[in-house]
Amino acid sequence: MKISEKWLKQYMDLGDLSMEEVAKAVTDAGFEVEEVIPMSQGSNLVIGEVLTCKDHPNSDHLHVTTVNLGDEVVQIVCGAPNVAAGQKVIVSKPGAKLPGGEIKAGVIRGEASNGMICSLAELGVDKHALSEEQLAGIEVLPDDAPVGYDNPRKYLGLDDTVLDVSLTPNRADCQAAWNMAAETAAILKKDYKLPDYEGASDAGNDVDTRLVIHSETEGCPHFYGKVINSVTIKPSVPWMKELLRASGMHAINNVVDISNIVMLETGQPMHFYDINALPAQEITVKDGLKCEYTALDGVTYPLRPEDLVITTEGKPIGIAGIMGGDDSKIEETTTGIIIECASFDHVSIRNTARRLNLNTESSIRYQKGIEPLAAKKAIDRAVQLLIEYADAKGIEKTVEFGSAHFEARTITTTLSDLNNRLGTEFSLEEVVDVFDRLNLEPVVEGETITVTVPSSRTDLENMADLSEEVIRMIGYDRLPSTLPVMEMTEGKLNPQQRQRRFIRTLLTENGVRDAVTYTLISTAKKEDAILSVGESLELPVPLSEERRYLRTSILPSLLESAAWNIARGNKNINLFEISELTSKSGVVEHLAIVLTGALNETKWLKDVTPADFYTLKGLIEALLERQGIGENRLYFKPNQKDTTHFHPGRSAEVYIGKDLIGLMGEIHPSYGAKIGVKHAVIAELDLDKVLKTKKSKVKFTPVSKYPSVVRDLAVVVAKDLPASKIIDVIKRAGKLDKESVVRKVDVFDVYEGEHVGENEKSIALTMTLQSDKQTLNEEKINTVFNAIIDAVIKQCHATLRSA
Amino acid sequence: MPVTLEDIKKLPRFEELKNRVIQRLGEADSLEALNDLRIEFLGKKGQIADLMKQMKFVPKEEKRDYGQVVNEIKARAIEMFEERKAELEAKALEEKLASETIDLTLPGRKPAHGNLNPLNLIEQELEDLFIGLGYQVIEGDEVVEDLYCFERANIPKDHPARDMQDSLYLDPEHLLRTHTTAIQMKVLEQEAPNPIKVVCPGKVYRRDDDDATHSHQFMQMEGLVIGEQVPLSDLKGTLEFFARKMFGEEREIRFRPSFFPFTEPSVEVDVSCHMCGGKGCPTCKGTGWIEILGAGEVNPKVLEMAGYDSTKMNGFAFGIGIERVAMLKYGIDDIRHFYTNDERFNELFDRMD
Repeated sequence: MKISEKWLKQYMDLGDLSMEEVAKAVTDAGFEVEEVIPMSQGSNLVIGEVLTCKDHPNSDHLHVTTVNLGDEVVQIVCGAPNVAAGQKVIVSKPGAKLPGGEIKAGVIRGEASNGMICSLAELGVDKHALSEEQLAGIEVLPDDAPVGYDNPRKYLGLDDTVLDVSLTPNRADCQAAWNMAAETAAILKKDYKLPDYEGASDAGNDVDTRLVIHSETEGCPHFYGKVINSVTIKPSVPWMKELLRASGMHAINNVVDISNIVMLETGQPMHFYDINALPAQEITVKDGLKCEYTALDGVTYPLRPEDLVITTEGKPIGIAGIMGGDDSKIEETTTGIIIECASFDHVSIRNTARRLNLNTESSIRYQKGIEPLAAKKAIDRAVQLLIEYADAKGIEKTVEFGSAHFEARTITTTLSDLNNRLGTEFSLEEVVDVFDRLNLEPVVEGETITVTVPSSRTDLENMADLSEEVIRMIGYDRLPSTLPVMEMTEGKLNPQQRQRRFIRTLLTENGVRDAVTYTLISTAKKEDAILSVGESLELPVPLSEERRYLRTSILPSLLESAAWNIARGNKNINLFEISELTSKSGVVEHLAIVLTGALNETKWLKDVTPADFYTLKGLIEALLERQGIGENRLYFKPNQKDTTHFHPGRSAEVYIGKDLIGLMGEIHPSYGAKIGVKHAVIAELDLDKVLKTKKSKVKFTPVSKYPSVVRDLAVVVAKDLPASKIIDVIKRAGKLDKESVVRKVDVFDVYEGEHVGENEKSIALTMTLQSDKQTLNEEKINTVFNAIIDAVIKQCHATLRSA
Repeated sequence: MPVTLEDIKKLPRFEELKNRVIQRLGEADSLEALNDLRIEFLGKKGQIADLMKQMKFVPKEEKRDYGQVVNEIKARAIEMFEERKAELEAKALEEKLASETIDLTLPGRKPAHGNLNPLNLIEQELEDLFIGLGYQVIEGDEVVEDLYCFERANIPKDHPARDMQDSLYLDPEHLLRTHTTAIQMKVLEQEAPNPIKVVCPGKVYRRDDDDATHSHQFMQMEGLVIGEQVPLSDLKGTLEFFARKMFGEEREIRFRPSFFPFTEPSVEVDVSCHMCGGKGCPTCKGTGWIEILGAGEVNPKVLEMAGYDSTKMNGFAFGIGIERVAMLKYGIDDIRHFYTNDERFNELFDRMD
């Protein structure tokens, strides 16, 4: 809301306080002043009279003028097209400081110029408040403007400063200038006095009225109407114009301006109708209409059944709480008015205003909420001002539909409750003083303090609310700094959080970057879910087509990030993301990995960890094995679940035991081409399943006393025989006296090509043999090794590779 | 002819042999040459062995002396050979090492590394900070009931946030949480009437168009402490601790009155600017203070709805915007960076800070 220095000074003596000081004080008490705006600026100004005005000899647009400043006559070169002899104007003398800079005496194209004739814009007046004409040239003052007067800003009523205050939702009451003024006075510890207006609308209550008002909707529970048969339309008095301008509103005529002034003062919007436009003298608030309506602004709006509409004789005459109609507005010709002053449901007003994109001073106030007694205040004040400034006569009885529901609330608390909630040691005097200043009428009885809440402060409901009043009014600089004194608690992460951190550490330490992408995705991405956690949830009102569904898999989003990088020429994009995924089946946490380039590379050493199937597989194995899920429980089986997104021959289903926990492998070239990631290995893993898997414990086993020996074996097998099969056979066959003595088997070479049959491959393995019970001598080693060779030949249809 | 030992020693052969050994040793400039020399003098058929073979011509009574002299010569020769060998070995090693000199300026083999997304980095830092104070880290579902997101947080039914147009509803009862307060409300219900000390991090969603300062998805972390006597001043002490850990030990905080439906009193919390130390700079827009989070003393209505007796238990809550902290801490100018995962942005976080 906007409130000006002059406005505040109507009600209180601000003494020596500058508006900056006022702004700081109210900000500190919870009313954030976003801006302190001077209505105009400029020093060393004077009202002058243009005596002569001639074209500048050396210019096609400048003028040379002589101007009487009262105590002297000076020559000024002026560029404004509208300057003319005989005008009363604002002159800034040499040395004047204007928003645009300092004015200096000088010579302009050979002609002396001792000052500047000013436009209002040059004095820093808000351009939005000025007409085209005012913006185009100098300000021409009325003929009776006093020449030589040294405060033209005051003469124009522009010597005001406006505070633009941001209100928190609980303090919508301060949309009303009167409430804001009372609050300001309380904050500044000043006495204040508002106009005496109560009961003013009783005028005419002894005169019968034809006016009938009615509401057919719950959206309008309370409604005042009043007929004033005679008013005089004329321009408003200066103070009204000034207050309207300070509030960013234009003055129109005295009657319209009164409705706006009352709205600004009380926060209650009201509408005045030309009495001749409502011959039936009947006003009904309705909903359920479906029609088009042309409002005051000339725009035709489609009304829907849920909109509240003001009608007479069944026809709309206004969109309730938002805007009236052109045909019933107050004009020069208006001789009498009907006043409508109503309470409307703020949600309904909000919905209509938003749908019609029509935010008016009125609709904004209704939406934020208006105090329950504002309507009565408003009609009282309006009648008072109409009598005083619009010669209101022929006033009829006030008609009321419904009633204002307000019962003053009392809250009882104690000083120690307040101090305990805040952690402060305020005295009773301090606390009672705060309540006094806020008009809460505190009553102290022994330990208890009881306050009575005025209608404007419906936000105050309990002791907690009062504690806030105390601390914000006394000041947060008085709040001590302490730490909670509680029983000791253990700060910790849960197993899921620990797992997440472990994975993040492992992957980032191996060259993969941690990514975060959006939860909401497009239809296309939804269709490309990989290892989807279930049927997608859809927003009934999506943010956009790009943000329509909750994702059920991370990979499509992560691949988009990879594509973004690739499109920008960024190299070696390796990303992972851990995210919870929500579907119709519930919530699951996934890990996705995308590798597109070397995870690590020292080029001149030709030392590369490439982004291929085996790097990704190794990462997944490490991720599981290092959590205690041994390789004997891990299976990488040919991918039969998803060959749309994966290369069918280079991807795997990942199992822990019988549980499918993920899919991994090379991206399918067609899918890759579609999304702009040609080469990548990708994985999507279910971390909830990993989390639920029982992990083996670290357990000490004695280090064998007996030496280990290493033997190598090279065999030729069918090309499609999995290496894991040979390793299994070796492990199972490698027994001595029933003890398994194969401690480790590694593949150290795989070869296809020359010297190996077309459908065959050669695999070389190295194995470590060791017993816990005996020394393996040459003879025993040979026994085991021969058994292994026999088994491999038989079970793997292998032939020994000749050396 | 009787030969005395003295005579033998004087034999030109002996003298010659000695000189020759010395001379030849000096000439041997490699281990191979030295070895050849060794064989020549000390081998089985070498010159010293020849001397030994002369023994048979030495008179019986002088054999012992003769043997001794020859052995002395042999021992001396071996000694000289060993010395020369050590010399040559040292020289060879030196040459070998010199030849093995590498270019120190070629790049090292750095271990692989990625980085944490700064949002996760800040979240972890904050988690660890509060874990150190005895807080538990509690998370919750992103799709929540309207009840926990709004009703329990004392946000009335007619509040704009509870409109389909403002929040991301899936159906009239369910929506993507608009704040991590939704987690807290569930924690309150689960823990009532017991004390609570938790932080609740997570993603939240609003109906906003994405631009440099707005994001329809962002991250928050809320803290909640409930106990028998946990006043607003405890919030101040706790947040002072947080601000100093996060932005430096010299930081001060200040409270400004504000409004949130779930806290009363509610405050906006400013931290003295970490860029200028409070003198005023572009980061703090010249004020010396930066608005960092919202907080307050939990509204008794919220406690009652969750099952607490608000006359016996109270406490505070605070909500930290992870993006805001990250943007302030690292001077990031566009919130979309966090979600784009551009390599050039990620690289900035390759190191500790």
